[in-house]
Amino acid sequence: MKKDVIFTVPSYFRDDMNIMGYRFGKGEKSCAVLGALRGNEIQQLYVCARLVAFLREVERDGGIMPGKSVLVVPTAIGLSMNAGTRLWAPENTDINRCFPGDMEGATTEQIAGALFDKLKAYKYGVQLTSFYQPGAFVPHVRMMETGRQNPELGCEFGLPYVYVRTPRISDKTTLNYCWQLAGTQAYSLYAGKTQEIDEAAADQTLRAIIRFLNGRGIIRSEQTPGQKSAVITNEDIITVTSKHAGLLRRVKHAGAHVRRGEQLAFVINPLDGSVKEMLKTPVTGMLFFIQDGPFVTEHSPVFQVLSK
Amino acid sequence: MNRESCISLFESEGFDLPVLKEIAAVASVMMPIGENWTVSRCRYSPEGETKGRLCIATGIHGDERMGQLVAYEVAQRIMREPEHLQGIVDLYPMLNAIGLDVGQRMVPTSTMLDMNRVFPGNPDGTALESICHAVLEDMKGADLVLDIHTSSQITSELYGVRLHERHAEEMIPGCAALCPRVMWVLPDKPVHSASLTGALSMAGTKAVVLMVDERRLRVQTVVCEVVDGIFCKMKEMGLWSGETKAAPAQESIPCMWEATDICRVTCRHPGVYVPRELNGTVVREGDVLGTIIDALEGETLETVVAPESGLVFTERRYSAVYPGTLIARLCRKERA
Repeated sequence: MKKDVIFTVPSYFRDDMNIMGYRFGKGEKSCAVLGALRGNEIQQLYVCARLVAFLREVERDGGIMPGKSVLVVPTAIGLSMNAGTRLWAPENTDINRCFPGDMEGATTEQIAGALFDKLKAYKYGVQLTSFYQPGAFVPHVRMMETGRQNPELGCEFGLPYVYVRTPRISDKTTLNYCWQLAGTQAYSLYAGKTQEIDEAAADQTLRAIIRFLNGRGIIRSEQTPGQKSAVITNEDIITVTSKHAGLLRRVKHAGAHVRRGEQLAFVINPLDGSVKEMLKTPVTGMLFFIQDGPFVTEHSPVFQVLSK
Repeated sequence: MNRESCISLFESEGFDLPVLKEIAAVASVMMPIGENWTVSRCRYSPEGETKGRLCIATGIHGDERMGQLVAYEVAQRIMREPEHLQGIVDLYPMLNAIGLDVGQRMVPTSTMLDMNRVFPGNPDGTALESICHAVLEDMKGADLVLDIHTSSQITSELYGVRLHERHAEEMIPGCAALCPRVMWVLPDKPVHSASLTGALSMAGTKAVVLMVDERRLRVQTVVCEVVDGIFCKMKEMGLWSGETKAAPAQESIPCMWEATDICRVTCRHPGVYVPRELNGTVVREGDVLGTIIDALEGETLETVVAPESGLVFTERRYSAVYPGTLIARLCRKERA
């Protein structure tokens, strides 16, 4: 294992922030794995830390295939993680909206630029990412529809779903989008929760990455069989939205199979406890995403139901 | 403050011509505990025929409050001389009302998103997306939309117009009437299309950003400059028949079209930046713009100088900086 400083952000008030990369093997730049780009992506950091520990053992046992190499970057935003802020605190900006970056630009653009310069050289790319809303997803592989996406290859992670999403305007400055345009087969993995460690989802995500690395001939290690993946798109997802605001009491959880008309949650008056709304699923399917914040506003997308 | 939608007629002393004043909720979303997030619009319109429509929006970033005073002054001038109003003026002073209340740039809900990156929104989307969609729909079709932004906590901006490349060529001549100190054409980037003015431009409605400097202590002076410009533009559009200042010649306002028209000055050291407060002045090559200090050791880490001459139109405020932090933007078209 080689430990590299990919980029340093010198700080006046605090210690300098070093973005660390952990390299395994030599030769072709085969696969890069990136963890936290936001200060609250704890689960993403955790999965990367466990991946580094795993690959260290694989390398020790001669399991990195000759001529192949893997790079793992657990976090690019350590200063914000320590300070407990989701965005890059000094400028309140999201690094995952700064790609492909600019080495002459603001600090976040420099971070994105330095990272992208390293990452784009890799054949395959895996980003452990989070959703902008607090909540939990069924672990899945996701990619933007750029014309260069390869969902069939995404099935090699062995997760139940590979989600090809139509990008919105603001998505065009994300890592996944820019990574694909730069020629890397890029995938985003949603590893359950974000701000806290979810051991089961972390295990599942770690096993998926190991399966992919084995499948692509980059490492040779013990692995568990994956699931047959279904490729899904925006059209397969139905969003259940609250019509009222209040406290949210969930009845169902991510991954649950639900039948049309089944109760999913209650929106409760936060002062007198009366039920303002009962959320029901309009279709039979599986709960792909649930919002897990305590409050909902009017128009909150609380559940995503996969109807396929 | 809970406001009821209302329509009222008022007459200025000595004049018989009434102006219609109408407050309406453009969008509203229930918050969890006894509150609605409402985007309100106040419309001023003359009785009878109108000669066009101007929308003035502000407060999309909660840490930019100068727009409140601009909107207030525009309303005051209309009410003082209502007989001169020839068209519709729509004021949207509090787009991100919750952010303005707590002084937070982003929308302070659980998602903490930048409202100016969510347009064109979505009627079936999240609370924020549905609000953005409703705001955009309400503004569409106006003859011009002005989105007022102000200097942030970390930078100070000279009064200027920022417009999108898409409609720049046809809009620049008309923007001179706003009497800005500079005009800056933003390149067509995806991120700009998700802003209010970007989404309006995509939808075919002319829209520009007005950057207002709130660095100076006498805010009334700054606001007066901006409001004078707005009324000058209204006169040019035929919406106002009263006296205004004369519109400057387009050639007298430096217009930055290309990246090469701008000199970006950055710093090399982390520390605390102490500006000399030169915004709006023309500096010469070698002039000191500010210093970066180390309070712990009592030393000056760096003296930041202008690498060439130009008009300072963006200036970093007294704040923490990192290597590469933008200290100033100089307009190369205005040399010493």
